[in-house]
Amino acid sequence: MDFTLCLTQRSRMVDSKRMRMTSNFQWPLLTFILLYLMSQVNSQKKGAPHDLKCITNNLQVWDCSWKAPSGAGHGTFYEVCIENGSYSCYPSEKTNIKIPALSPGDHEVVISPLRDFGSSISKFILSEKNVSLIPDTPEILNLSADFPTSTLHLKWSDRGSVLPRHSNVIWEIKILRKKNMEIVKSVTHNTTLNGKDTVHHWSWTSDMPLECATHYVGIRCYVDDTHFSGHKEWSDWSQLKNISWSPDSQTKVFPQDKVILVGSDVIVCCVTRDNVSSAQIGLTKCPLIHLDGKNVAIKIHNISVSASSGTNVVFTTEDNIYGTVLFAGYPPDIPQKLNCETYDLKEIVCSWNPGRPTALVGPRVTSYTLFESFSGKNVRFKRTEASTNESHQLFFQMLPNQEIYNFTLNAHNPLGQSESMILVNITEKVYPHSPTSVKVKDVNSTAVTLSWRLPGNFAKIKFLCQIEINKTNSIQELRNVTIKGVENSSYLVAVDKLNPYTIYTFRIRCSTETFWKWSKWSNEKQYLTTEAIPSKGPDTWREWSSDGKNLIIYWKPLPVNEANGKILSYNVSCSSDEETQSLSEIPDPQHKAELQLDKNDYIISVVAKNSVGSSPPSKIASMEIPNDDLKIEQAVGMGNGIPLTWNYDPNMTCDYVIKWCNSSRSEPCLMDWKKVPSNSTATVIESDQFRPGVRYHFFLYGCRNQGYQLLRSIIGYIEELAPIVAPNFTVEDTSADSILVKWEDIPVEELRGFLRGYLFYFEKGERDTSKMRSLESGRSDVKVKNITDISQKTLRIADLQGKTSYHLVLRAYTDGGMGPEKSMFVVTKENSVGLIIAILIPVAVAIIVGVVTSILCYRKREWIKETFYPDIPNPENCKALQFQKSVCQGNSTLKTLEMNPCTPNSVEVLETRSIVPKIEDTEIISPVAEHLEDSSDAEPENHVVVSYCPPVIEEEIANPGLDEGGGTSQVIYIDIQSMYQPQAKPEEEQENDAVGGAGYKPQMHLPVTSTVEDLAADDDLEKTAGYRPQANVNTWNLVSPDSPRSTDSNSEIVSFGSPCSINSRQFLIPPKDEDSPKSNGGGWSFTNFFQNKPND
Amino acid sequence: MSRREGSLDPQTDSSISSLPHLEAKIHQTHSLARLLTKYAEQLLQEYVQHQGDPFGLPGFSPPRLPVAGLSAPAPGHAGLPAPERLRLDAAALAALPPLLDVVRRRQAELNPRAPRLLRRLEDAARQARALGAAVEAVLAALGAETRGPRPEPAAAAAAAAAAAGVFLAKVLGLRVCGLYRDWVSRTEADLGQLVPGCPA
Repeated sequence: MDFTLCLTQRSRMVDSKRMRMTSNFQWPLLTFILLYLMSQVNSQKKGAPHDLKCITNNLQVWDCSWKAPSGAGHGTFYEVCIENGSYSCYPSEKTNIKIPALSPGDHEVVISPLRDFGSSISKFILSEKNVSLIPDTPEILNLSADFPTSTLHLKWSDRGSVLPRHSNVIWEIKILRKKNMEIVKSVTHNTTLNGKDTVHHWSWTSDMPLECATHYVGIRCYVDDTHFSGHKEWSDWSQLKNISWSPDSQTKVFPQDKVILVGSDVIVCCVTRDNVSSAQIGLTKCPLIHLDGKNVAIKIHNISVSASSGTNVVFTTEDNIYGTVLFAGYPPDIPQKLNCETYDLKEIVCSWNPGRPTALVGPRVTSYTLFESFSGKNVRFKRTEASTNESHQLFFQMLPNQEIYNFTLNAHNPLGQSESMILVNITEKVYPHSPTSVKVKDVNSTAVTLSWRLPGNFAKIKFLCQIEINKTNSIQELRNVTIKGVENSSYLVAVDKLNPYTIYTFRIRCSTETFWKWSKWSNEKQYLTTEAIPSKGPDTWREWSSDGKNLIIYWKPLPVNEANGKILSYNVSCSSDEETQSLSEIPDPQHKAELQLDKNDYIISVVAKNSVGSSPPSKIASMEIPNDDLKIEQAVGMGNGIPLTWNYDPNMTCDYVIKWCNSSRSEPCLMDWKKVPSNSTATVIESDQFRPGVRYHFFLYGCRNQGYQLLRSIIGYIEELAPIVAPNFTVEDTSADSILVKWEDIPVEELRGFLRGYLFYFEKGERDTSKMRSLESGRSDVKVKNITDISQKTLRIADLQGKTSYHLVLRAYTDGGMGPEKSMFVVTKENSVGLIIAILIPVAVAIIVGVVTSILCYRKREWIKETFYPDIPNPENCKALQFQKSVCQGNSTLKTLEMNPCTPNSVEVLETRSIVPKIEDTEIISPVAEHLEDSSDAEPENHVVVSYCPPVIEEEIANPGLDEGGGTSQVIYIDIQSMYQPQAKPEEEQENDAVGGAGYKPQMHLPVTSTVEDLAADDDLEKTAGYRPQANVNTWNLVSPDSPRSTDSNSEIVSFGSPCSINSRQFLIPPKDEDSPKSNGGGWSFTNFFQNKPND
Repeated sequence: MSRREGSLDPQTDSSISSLPHLEAKIHQTHSLARLLTKYAEQLLQEYVQHQGDPFGLPGFSPPRLPVAGLSAPAPGHAGLPAPERLRLDAAALAALPPLLDVVRRRQAELNPRAPRLLRRLEDAARQARALGAAVEAVLAALGAETRGPRPEPAAAAAAAAAAAGVFLAKVLGLRVCGLYRDWVSRTEADLGQLVPGCPA
């Protein structure tokens, strides 16, 4: 068995080399097989040592062990001989032996049991590959806990001195929790052995507070020696060490007052001996996690940001409440907009924005430290509870002779830290304070000195300062000055080019020459410069008084910029070749002087004086050069002024003067004047005194040879307005058909513009009945006359009616509008001739008509008699109507008609239908006869009718030809056009009509058929054949016996318009169309009087 | 003047009871106590608002932490003689200001942006001191011994408790504010019994 093992082991050892040694090992293999067979023979006698195993923990000593042969006694000794270059034997009383590490390669190991003769020796082939490297079990030197941070600190030694060479070591550390040893963490940690014993540290932060449960820690290692070819194995686990918190009698909740990152998970536990019934964070209940004993925990996921006082976590027991507070916030943001500057080059102010709020306050608030790397100095930010968005500031005292500063601002809070850096040359980052103590001092009337204080040590830099100069009613002026910085903070500059006697307001701001920021403006300082002599003499004009004896001298007060001080008085002098007059010390408010002069030419001189001195004299000549060619012109202003133009006159060598006054004032008047240079040809006269609607008189003077000549005289308005009064007018003369009106001029003051004309309105109307309507409203009955000739002062209104009241209105107008109106009522005189004519003419006409009528009646008296009063036959003369008296007398009811011969008025014999009956009496025509002729269905054709009909008056037929062509029909055509006007048609169309007729056609001639279908064709005919009845003919059933169609047609539906009596001009059935002429009205004719029923 | 429970016995010190200024003093102190009772209630509400949930919820009743040197008004307080009650009131009011100061300092860290709460706490300490002094003045006017044995300094114990943890500090602050309200209210009631015509 031993050999088997040995051979087996050997064969294993050999296997790896077999490939490369196959050819070389043929002979040793045979030898080995031989040895194996011999060993088998020996082993059958008794057992031998077997299962040789070698391990090492330090690569220097191999600890080999084997199993004793069966039957070997307790006191068996072994001799182990190892062939390792030399042959060394080691005695051993045990079944193991430690031998020095063998050199690489196979070594024969012979183990011989001593004193046991029954046993046989064993031989093994041993090499490093057969050796296992198993490090010693590591030992934890120390395990400690930092409970506030829930951190475990592990310390152990690697025993590096044991191993002869550098090797990599892998440490595996496991952490177990609670008494049931739940593995909560297993990590590996790599180190390198350096031949010395080295103590290693490892820390781990638990997600659960260490106070909540006992935590155990174990460690083992694995030596990864690259040179060792044997089998490497992990060491055994070290003995577990644990950390537990020994609670006192009080129940506590962990962690206490912990600051955690928003969004993280946290475990909170309650270490207690009571039963915890519930737990909650804020308002939210949490499920309990049971730990050892009665300890419980809750796990909070993704915690949200806390309020200022933190997030309360509360555990409730039967009789108490325990809790802790968590502060969920953020680490400090990177300080933003870090900027360092100085106000005074003594102290550096660094400011920054803290960025995102951390939600942590009080002891947990972010602390800031400003560190300057060149000097190594730092300052800490004093905690304030200011608003989170407010900029923070830190002050750093400047160091002598250091201009470059490298600042690092570090922000720190319990959750982390951040920093921001800035490198500044502080001399380029000067933001000066606002200048203070600004003072002004006189130099002269046009210059002052400004002084101010600017605290700081600016000796090494230059300032660029701005001086803002404000003057009343003037544009603001900015002057830049460069001044050298000083140590004593006092600065002084001169400001010149000022105006005398002017109030100035100064203020100053400064920056360094290498501009960074302007300081804030200083306070304003107001100052009045001193006076100087007036720079110019006053603007002067002169006027002769109305009597021509006195010369009135006018001058204008000097403007402030020319007076250069307060004007105290004026001196006026007039000098000629002969004399000089002067007026001195005329006090300032007076700007006029009057001198009694003769008509000599004088030169007037005016001088203004202030406290400093007198102005240059202002001179003007008194002489006026006459101008005979002068016309008064008109001008109207534009906007606020009146433009005036004139032609260039080279003779005018001095200047032009335009003076003006209110034209309503008496001469001489003077409101103001204006001087313009002699080379000007136009100016605009502007004055605040100008008012719209006021007429001003402008005089343009030209100056030559020291005398003024009036060149133009202009009246004008700055703006024209409508007159405010109406012209006062009267009626000068009145006749039957005309009125003469006269009016007066409107005064200039009330005209308010240049008169452009008058508007005269008139209409018929009584004073009392007139509604005083506006006459200018465009009514047709109002007549208007526009009088544009303003010189016209009268107007005659002709073509009026006599004895009629007229309403007259007159109003004036300018370009500014219409003035008010003035009205008057006038009654024209009566026209007697016309009245007489009006009476005589109707009387004469009436007489003539009466005479003519009488004559006509007389001449036609027979006709009238027969027409209106015919002889009525006496029925008693008619035999046919005579009854026998006896019979009649016997029984009147049985009286029968007896046809007695009667004397007819006329007799008419009708031969046939086609023959026109011969009328004996041409004056009496019986239309009934024609009817009877048509009524053939009732009477035989050859029936001869002799009848009497009362006489009928007929109108003469306008178209006798039609009667002639009418054949058998006796139709009386009436002038129906008087009732229905046919549509007008061109003559050509009428000739082409299907019917062939023009104008009205009687209905009987219409091609009326009995079929309804033909009605459509009739419609067409209606369109083309002149008059057609407007009603729907289909609906007419003609039952009138007078209707010629009613007896002439067999059709059931007979319709052809309104039936019309042949003897009447009226329709028997009046048309329904209301638009049609009514039968009673439009169809009236003289013949109606001869009808029994005119309306039928 | 009918004798009421706890009212002054005119026989015991007629010279005092006859003094009109005593009644005025009692009346004045009672008015002050009544005003401070209202303020104390407002302080309690303000305090609770700034501690976060579940403080202020109806079902939340944290443990009534013992405060060294200051106990809640005992149930038998009303049965004690008036001077004794006032002595207890004065002692409690004297112990309250340092406690309120401790609470204010802690709240200044927790709620630095709650100026009204901090001002109320500061005012409460000053008002408790003033009311205690006024009660002692009444006691002195009554001829009673103004000061009993000084209670243990409560502030140190309170500060130690407050330093234990924020939650405990909050609970302690709530307790102190509650005690302040209770004692001011108790003082108002005790003084009310001394005010003629005022219902007990």
